[in-house]
Amino acid sequence: MSTTAVTADLPRTRTSRNWQPRLVRAELLKLRKRRGLVISALALTVLPMIIGYTVLLSIHAANPGKHGPAGGLENLSGSVEMLTLLSGVATILVGATLGAGDLGAGVFRELVVTGRSRLALFAARVPAGLGLILPIVGAGFAVTATGSIVFAGSLDAPSASLLVGSAAWLGLVTALSLVLALGVSSAVGSRGTTIGILLGWQLIAAPVLLEIGWLGSFREGLLGAATERLEPAALFEGGTTVPMSLAAAALVVVAWTVVPLALGAWRTYTRDA
Amino acid sequence: MRSRRLARENDPNIVREDDTESLSRPKTGGAGGPSVEVTDHEIGGHMNTAGFVVETSGLTKRFGDRVAVANVDLRVPRGSAFGYLGPNGAGKTTLIRMLLGLTQATAGTMRLLGRPVPDERAAALARVGAIVEEPRFHGHLTGRENLTVIAAAREPEAHDRIDGALARVGLSQRADERVKRYSLGMRQRLGVARSLLADPELLILDEPTNGLDPAGIHEFRDMIRGFVAEGRTVLLSSHLLDEVEKICDEVAIVDRGQVVVQGSIADLAASGKQTILIATSNEEQALTILSEHRAVESAAAESTGIRVTLHAQDGAASDDISRRLVLGGLAIRRFEPARVSLEQRFLEITSRLEEAA
Repeated sequence: MSTTAVTADLPRTRTSRNWQPRLVRAELLKLRKRRGLVISALALTVLPMIIGYTVLLSIHAANPGKHGPAGGLENLSGSVEMLTLLSGVATILVGATLGAGDLGAGVFRELVVTGRSRLALFAARVPAGLGLILPIVGAGFAVTATGSIVFAGSLDAPSASLLVGSAAWLGLVTALSLVLALGVSSAVGSRGTTIGILLGWQLIAAPVLLEIGWLGSFREGLLGAATERLEPAALFEGGTTVPMSLAAAALVVVAWTVVPLALGAWRTYTRDA
Repeated sequence: MRSRRLARENDPNIVREDDTESLSRPKTGGAGGPSVEVTDHEIGGHMNTAGFVVETSGLTKRFGDRVAVANVDLRVPRGSAFGYLGPNGAGKTTLIRMLLGLTQATAGTMRLLGRPVPDERAAALARVGAIVEEPRFHGHLTGRENLTVIAAAREPEAHDRIDGALARVGLSQRADERVKRYSLGMRQRLGVARSLLADPELLILDEPTNGLDPAGIHEFRDMIRGFVAEGRTVLLSSHLLDEVEKICDEVAIVDRGQVVVQGSIADLAASGKQTILIATSNEEQALTILSEHRAVESAAAESTGIRVTLHAQDGAASDDISRRLVLGGLAIRRFEPARVSLEQRFLEITSRLEEAA
């Protein structure tokens, strides 16, 4: 083993130059190097869109009289609905890994030992998570948006403003799911437990609660009700399940952003590393 | 309190809790003879602390009713290899975790590199590298990527140190392999490389040779001495007496959460009971004379002579013993002090503590 000094004359003071971006890049590195996670996320977002349009094109080609064109506004609506559901699952996987990955690997204490603020370590996870999941979900949306235009045939193609609005809405829903998963996993400290809890909540409990009419205005506090209120009207016809004002929906979204983040940050700050 | 019980012993070279004249600064070995320090509780209040990279005062950690670290006063001199020695479960790792801000102290104060922690924890830890228990990594990342992740949490210059750190621990050729393929020894080296990213003034290594083969341990030992030669301080926590004795200059012995004795290894070994190896022309007669001497605690025949243990360090007593042997008509063929190892001293201290408990 060499005995050469590593860093004899390097500065002895800490500077803040490029601090946060480096932490974010490091978090992103940890995520994107998890091949299984990235493949799963792609398989839940891009792949279903490709398969969906392939099937629609096939059945349209086989029997154009019975099956309409694969694209158009109506098919966009259906595929975005599916993409929202599946990208929610992908986002939970990413968010849970993001929040509990360091703990699971035992690396959290190594990060704490650097002296870096625990809150800074936590905060860097948000843009890193978004940096991974938004392009993936965006790619899925790009597939469906392209398909809806290219294969519209005789059907009405979605307008540019609708596509932009839909993309923004999908981005919001994805970001909210990520924040929720990140907050819960940082608080719970276990990736598996977080995935179990959130899949149960997102796929079963929340939709069921939304449909229970006697819960009344309580349902306005559910994230699903608020995001439904904010979705582009032209994309999903039939109105919202829980009527609520735009301001109330915005307030609920803010609450579902702040509370999980605060919970995760608090637990990251107080946890024995 | 165990250290108070120890303080009842009549050993002039040990600085004790109730030896108030000795509280102002630690003694060091020199012309005045060896010195070993036993827990005092007023460290830092009225002394120059510039020479210490770690100072704790009354540091305590409780887990419910269980006290893991009890009122520890520790001072680690700058530029030394300092052993924090104690059996498993003695509270070594808990103390290190408190120093590094991994867990909160229940009571007491700490200073790292002269800075109070946790108040100035970030500034203090900027120049501290540490391995706590087994070094952990993201297995799906390469060695280099793991260092990149940690460097991102440190100052920007830390990134420029990655290649040098990998080269220093001999991992340059394997740096781009995933860590899950690394052996335990390679992980230990990578842990050291990671701690070097801080350009550390202080390295805290908790049981660093766990799981290493003899060659790896030897290599590790050389590396640690190399760090000290560069002017860095190494705080080495270990339950291995031999390891601490071979690597460290100073040591604190900890038991059941308390530091029971602290000082240089040479002084510590010398501060215990005096042992003399004697060979004479008539062993039986010599044993009789020795057993009647008031300063002799025990005398036992060995293959090379008689091993005599005195009650305490006492030059006059050994002179008197040699005189009586000669007056008894015996020819003395050997009369020399036995080298006392840290292990013997450690066992001596802990057995006294057990007797006193």
